[in-house]
Amino acid sequence: MEMVYIAAAIIIGMGALATGIGFGILGGKLLEATARQPEMANQLQVKTFIMAGLLDAVPMIGVGIAMYLIFVVAG
Amino acid sequence: MKPRQSRITKVPLARWLIIEFTGLSVFSLLWLLHSPLAGYSAFVGGLIFIVPNAWFVHRVYRYQGARNAHLMVGNLFRAESTKIALTAVFFAAVFTLMEPVHVPALLFTFAVMVLAGGALRWLIRPKPRR
Repeated sequence: MEMVYIAAAIIIGMGALATGIGFGILGGKLLEATARQPEMANQLQVKTFIMAGLLDAVPMIGVGIAMYLIFVVAG
Repeated sequence: MKPRQSRITKVPLARWLIIEFTGLSVFSLLWLLHSPLAGYSAFVGGLIFIVPNAWFVHRVYRYQGARNAHLMVGNLFRAESTKIALTAVFFAAVFTLMEPVHVPALLFTFAVMVLAGGALRWLIRPKPRR
């Protein structure tokens, strides 16, 4: 039973780590690009928003599976 | 020379929501052929995606323009972390409060909605207006 909790923790932890790194790079590049070309700020925001949607797809599914493991399999 | 007007990005949130709810209804009806419980679970799975995501879109486009770049990025981070937290809370609530639940229908519909949502934002993009 403990293994299920460990598995859920690994799923959520790795997902959070990867999303954090991804969003850090994404946000940093947005700031950098906006500072270089302020007139492009809104277009860059649109591109960042689209990439954010793609970036968090896998961790979101991971959160769902982790909750299933915690509350249904182990619960 | 005419000064350049500030651009305001038009976010097609209503269009996204209409398309997402239409797709979710179709998916739920398909699962309904399997069993009423599966249809209901699929609808709930889709809602778990749609509600936090609509909130995310609303928060991300709160600030616009180069002057507000730092607020834009800060809001992006806050909105994303809140979205993931909301998703986890909704899943926990469904798995503890909803009894019984058809788990494959719930998770499969959620996964399809997540992937379709990404594709939808790619296909129907927010348009910066001059």
